[in-house]
Amino acid sequence: MVQASSQVWSQQIIDDIHAKADLGRYRIRGFSTFQKVTHFDDLTFLSTGLTRFPLEGYKEKCSTQVTLGARYASEPLVLETPVYITGMSYGALSVSAKTALGKAASMVGSASCTGDGGMLPAEREASDKLIYQVLPSRYGFNPHHLLEAQAAEIVVGQGAKPGTGGMLMGVKVLDHIAESRDLPSGIDQRSPARHPDWLGPDDLAVKIEQIREATDGRIPVSVKLGACRVTDDVKLAAKAGADIVVVDSMLAGTGASGEALLDHSGIPTVPSIVMAREALRDMGLYGTVSLVASGGIRSGADMAKALALGADACAIGIGALVALNCNRDIPEADFESEVGVSAGQCHHCQTGKCPVGIATQDPELEKRLDSSEGADRVANFLNSMTMEAALLTRSLGKGDVRSLEPEDMVALTIEASAMARIPLVGTNKVFGWD
Amino acid sequence: MVSLDAHSLSARELNQAIKKAALTGSQITILNPQARHNIAVGILDSCKIDIDGSVGYYAASLMDGPEVNIDGNAGWALGENLMSGKIVLTKDAGASVAASMRGGDIVVGGNAGARAGISMKGGTLLIGGNAGFLTGFMMQKGRIVVCGDVGDAVGDSMYEGVIYVGGDIGSLGADAKIIEPSETDLIELWGLLEQSGINDRPRFRKIVSQKKLYHFDNLERLEMSAV
Repeated sequence: MVQASSQVWSQQIIDDIHAKADLGRYRIRGFSTFQKVTHFDDLTFLSTGLTRFPLEGYKEKCSTQVTLGARYASEPLVLETPVYITGMSYGALSVSAKTALGKAASMVGSASCTGDGGMLPAEREASDKLIYQVLPSRYGFNPHHLLEAQAAEIVVGQGAKPGTGGMLMGVKVLDHIAESRDLPSGIDQRSPARHPDWLGPDDLAVKIEQIREATDGRIPVSVKLGACRVTDDVKLAAKAGADIVVVDSMLAGTGASGEALLDHSGIPTVPSIVMAREALRDMGLYGTVSLVASGGIRSGADMAKALALGADACAIGIGALVALNCNRDIPEADFESEVGVSAGQCHHCQTGKCPVGIATQDPELEKRLDSSEGADRVANFLNSMTMEAALLTRSLGKGDVRSLEPEDMVALTIEASAMARIPLVGTNKVFGWD
Repeated sequence: MVSLDAHSLSARELNQAIKKAALTGSQITILNPQARHNIAVGILDSCKIDIDGSVGYYAASLMDGPEVNIDGNAGWALGENLMSGKIVLTKDAGASVAASMRGGDIVVGGNAGARAGISMKGGTLLIGGNAGFLTGFMMQKGRIVVCGDVGDAVGDSMYEGVIYVGGDIGSLGADAKIIEPSETDLIELWGLLEQSGINDRPRFRKIVSQKKLYHFDNLERLEMSAV
């Protein structure tokens, strides 16, 4: 049948060209990629039947505690649930949002992460466990703060915009943000893509040692990669001495990125984890270097699948923000008039006009977010993720999320079989690998 | 006075010994540094450290307060992220000296490699000799003074701060421009050189940001501050 309109030159494409014709540059947006790619929904667990017996799904003990970064650190990061809040900057987010995220993580025995722009005192105070990012920009970086952290994370790249630095539009670079970053007020901040003091993996090894020297080897040093050439990058990070490797996929979120990067760079989460696992296994370091997966983790089921594929833990960003009220039609907000879209469709973090007070520096908008109530919601969401993962784990007859493995799942599509390196449902075939 | 022989200590043992001595404000001498990496890292107490020989990468980095004298050469990232204090190097520095420095003073008696003062956020970097390409790259605040020549792309994408060059300029980086220093600038600079034991009085040129890259040329409606 002939379609009623062009499938190549859709209305969305036409609108996009019109916008660029007016603008004269790449477009910028927040949230995450709009591409449809293979994801965790394309995998399913094989819960118990007659070949093995389950644990009581709702009650029987199931451990969810994980330890990250025990390779070299004398004080590795112990999390009561295998999920933590990923790095999101004070600047991209409001004080209330950052504080709520830190508090929520503390409520469930997990950790949060600083993001670009340094360590916010309120976030430090709210967070029992805080990961301090070492970014190419080094905005606000302070060795005193490094000593207060429970882990350091050297950011090589972000999944939402690999190969580039952070971005914060001028509407959010108000005086207090500019001061904390040593930047002129109001600029459209485009952070460096390369670190100022090291370039390649051999230099990174010395940088990692420097962080260890500054912290007396107490805290784990993590390396965060935007998932692209995962196999080589993970091997190089591990060889450089990372305690933890974070693989951040193309499904990861951002407060602002060029759309071209969001939608046309990086690889999905499922193959990222598998490639990283195999890279570490090749080096004999799987189980020694901790592997963290991030990008598009939306539930405890996603988290359990990530763990089954080989991750030790997950990091979430957008999921936590949605729990905080992102895209929720709260009474105080009028999405249509304020950001031109309805609640549920907003991806306008870069504008600073967040109708729910999360991704903004506007004090009036920030009042719409009650930090304490927000922390409760995020903690509830994290608890739900933990319970979902435990529920699935028990249904597989296992009492520890660390026992999840690829053999617990099958793929629902040929593509997922190839990417996850597990059999297609109803077959014994792992596509692309037999 | 504490004397530490680096030859017989691991980097961890050496740095922990320095930190311990720094707590009491001691004068610390480090012998036989052997150009090793990560010497005197993360020292956050005021003290005086003399290093008798060349050092590797990240010497005297992530510091706040100490006064460090290094009699020799240094590898990459000398004084990285210095918060306050002073570092004096008698000979040449590798790439990225004073990277992301936030305060204090760093003096390089000889030449500096590429990316000197990259991402600087404060303080003063004084280089007695020449500096390599991308000096002052994405510099945010502070002052870089190069008595000799600089390589290509100096001041590329700098936000604020100022770079003074006494010799030849290979080329300017994106959004950088040369302006004439004022007499006050020159008197201040010459005083700085005198304090640092440099006898030359170069007629410096001053490099600052054109500020044309501060903003995108055009914004979408919602990206503007007022809808």
